[in-house]
Amino acid sequence: MPIIFATMSRVFFALMLVGSLFILMRGHNDPGGGFVGGLMAAAAFSTLALTSGVGSVRRMLRIHPVVLVGVGLSIACLSGIPGLVSDASYLTHWWTSGALHLGTATIFDIGVYLVVLGGVLCLVLRLYEEVAP
Amino acid sequence: MLFVILLLICAGAALLARPVLLMGGRFGAPLLALAPLAAFVLLARQQPTIAAGEVILASYTWVPSLGVDFSFRLDGFSLLFSLLITGIGTLVTLYAGAYFAEKPRATAGRFLSLILLFMTAMLGTVLADNLVVMFLFWEATSLLSFLLVGFDSEKAEARKAALQALIVTGGGGLALFASILLIGLSLGTFSYTEVIARSDELVASPWLVPIIVLMLLGAFTKSAQVPFQFWLPNAMQAPTPASAYLHSATMVKLGVFLLARFDHVFATVPWFGATLVIVGSLTMLVASFEALRATGFKAVLAQSTVASLGILVMLIGLNGEVAVVATVGFLITHAFYKAALFFCAGNAIHATGEAHLGRLGGLARVLPFTALAAVLASFSMAGLPPFIGFISKEYLFEAQLSSGWNAIPVVIAVIVNSVMVGVAGIVSIRPFFLNRRRTPKVRHGETPGLLIGPLTLALGGIALGIVPNVVAVTLIGPAVLALTGIPVDVSFSLWHGVTPMLVLSGVVITMGVLLAVFWTPIHIRLRRRRILHGLFGDRFYDKVFNGTLNLASTSTRILQNGDQHRYTAVVMASVVVILGLGLLLAGNGAPISATGPLRISVLAVLVLAAVGAIATTLTRSLVGALVSVGIVGFASALIFLLNGAPDLALTQFAVETLLVVILTAVLLRLPVKREHTRLPRERRRDAILASLFAVFVFIGAASMSSAPPDMELSLFFGANSYLEAYGRNVVNVILVDFRAIDTLGEVAVVAFATLAAWALLRRRSTPTKPAKG
Repeated sequence: MPIIFATMSRVFFALMLVGSLFILMRGHNDPGGGFVGGLMAAAAFSTLALTSGVGSVRRMLRIHPVVLVGVGLSIACLSGIPGLVSDASYLTHWWTSGALHLGTATIFDIGVYLVVLGGVLCLVLRLYEEVAP
Repeated sequence: MLFVILLLICAGAALLARPVLLMGGRFGAPLLALAPLAAFVLLARQQPTIAAGEVILASYTWVPSLGVDFSFRLDGFSLLFSLLITGIGTLVTLYAGAYFAEKPRATAGRFLSLILLFMTAMLGTVLADNLVVMFLFWEATSLLSFLLVGFDSEKAEARKAALQALIVTGGGGLALFASILLIGLSLGTFSYTEVIARSDELVASPWLVPIIVLMLLGAFTKSAQVPFQFWLPNAMQAPTPASAYLHSATMVKLGVFLLARFDHVFATVPWFGATLVIVGSLTMLVASFEALRATGFKAVLAQSTVASLGILVMLIGLNGEVAVVATVGFLITHAFYKAALFFCAGNAIHATGEAHLGRLGGLARVLPFTALAAVLASFSMAGLPPFIGFISKEYLFEAQLSSGWNAIPVVIAVIVNSVMVGVAGIVSIRPFFLNRRRTPKVRHGETPGLLIGPLTLALGGIALGIVPNVVAVTLIGPAVLALTGIPVDVSFSLWHGVTPMLVLSGVVITMGVLLAVFWTPIHIRLRRRRILHGLFGDRFYDKVFNGTLNLASTSTRILQNGDQHRYTAVVMASVVVILGLGLLLAGNGAPISATGPLRISVLAVLVLAAVGAIATTLTRSLVGALVSVGIVGFASALIFLLNGAPDLALTQFAVETLLVVILTAVLLRLPVKREHTRLPRERRRDAILASLFAVFVFIGAASMSSAPPDMELSLFFGANSYLEAYGRNVVNVILVDFRAIDTLGEVAVVAFATLAAWALLRRRSTPTKPAKG
């Protein structure tokens, strides 16, 4: 692995992860959202896995990527409950009043983000292990 | 509130079963049994209201737009059923606690949790007024019976029986659902209360025949009628407490419940009743015959259950109020003695580890109370006075004699009841009192938990027989009222004087005793005839089942041969054919026209993409091919961007980037130059297919974009996106808010597809461990 790539990958990783979170959060008003954000975060981790090895990425994540999928799916499912309770309509989102509109839609998008991130990562890490044990 | 509390008690207990058993130890099961007991008491307290002729209705909105509400109905018939379900449920919970005493507590907890869930589903089915809600609970019982029958999941037979029960009852459930939908289509309501009120409209419906046929399919599969009777005897693979519940108060009685409910609705359709009488009688005969051939303790009992279900179905088919009284009476009687007998069978098998009836004997010395319960329960089954079974059998004969049918059902009933007497002798006298030399070694004795159930029910059977009027007035009367709509004078007494029914009873008992005495020679002779093996069994089921599997593996071999070239070719050829057909059929569609100025930027990007595509086909280096394909991808992202779809462009960029990152790792291990595996002939064919594909997709896309677009949706989302969902990015708002449920579905698909792919990517070097049961 070229030393420049190896060094820069850490910088790229941090930048991409932050960028992915930025894309996730801005998605409501500008291009972006959970799906793209999740893809970008997965790319960040994959880049790191290329240089530092799959093991260190797994250690950094602490939890198995499959767990991320489950957590994300659960979050997305749960985000619909408040609407079910108040309006008797599942996934009708709640919003805070005021200038900054935050709501359960953001939570839903976070769920999507985690599912995509976890899903891509568990495949990518497996592939890398298969290829370069 | 009553219904919500009832269902919550049972469901709550099911959720708590495991922790309660883990922490409560010996007292776990009795503690849990308090829940069904509480439900029983709660229901029993409604008895005066119901007996006064009232019907308790309650409704909670669920999907009002489809006419589906959580509406419940408690009348005499559903009260009777729910009392049986919760009452026997209490005893089963207690019994199961003792039965699983030597097993790990977690296993017992899992089992009790399933049993209590099963009880909840049963309660929901009999209490639901909305037919769709009833169907949901009905299907839940099918699913839970699958889990209960296959509880010993290490045993292959248990898994097979569980799958069979699920396929048969679940398939029937689908037919029932279709029937319910047709009822809703005819009447515009799913409420059972309204269906009875407007039964003449339903009978006049053009859908009447499919409604009845589909409903009969649902009921016959659930209640194990010919030709679906085979699954029930196989389902005795379930642990005995589950069998006791499944056979006596629950599950299999649901079909009977449904038929009884709708008998009144279809009262003016003569062939409805006639079908029930014929199918019921056939079932009775087949099951009695099979009972004579069965060898296992539980198997004999299971066949007698099928025969009893046949009796119930036949009784529902007969017209007249006496038949309704007989149905309800026999329902109670059967629940009492059959649950008790299964408990006794469980005790005998549990104590000896021997399930073969012929190898059991003299058990009364070691299991005295079980023997007592078995004798009492089997006397009720045999219909001897002063047991409740005697009265219900008298009613059975009276119903047959007073109906418009000829003597054939009576003859069948006499034969079948004689076999029941024989079975009664075989399952009580022989294993407990005869064959003393054959007493196997006893591993566990009786414990109080194992005795409460059988003794309560067996003594209950005799108590009901001695003071029959109590149950007749409190339960049978209201149930008959609920089924017929008119109050019927129900007078249950042991002695009616010398009547034709008494004579028939005498014939039955004499023949039955003879059968019991000569059981072994008859049994051996019947078993020797090879031709009889599997005559009424599941041979047909096996054929269909294996045929489906063979079809699947054959089609997989043909379609999935592992050649990626072929897959791609098949997909592309199909698209070409479908698009071509579509274009041909559309005929005079909008002519392809290009409007607007030529945009140089778009043209430049397209040229770039074309160069990339052509380079991909020409290059022999894998890295080169990857880069060339990447050019096409990035070019399409640019096209999105140029046409005002930044979201799509962003996603496309991200996907392309990720692809490069992933493939880089893979490519490091692959040879740089790929070898040609395709013959020139094949390459020419590929080229033709690809060109055709491109041409058709181009024509399709171009003609689609020449048609004036329908802007209604775009305008709506554009206008409401910020107002209703506070987001300016319309695409994202649609994804997370307007159509969030679609997105949820898609994300779930992504998640499960990834899980499946991830499992397939398991590293092959590590030896695969056998899956845990």
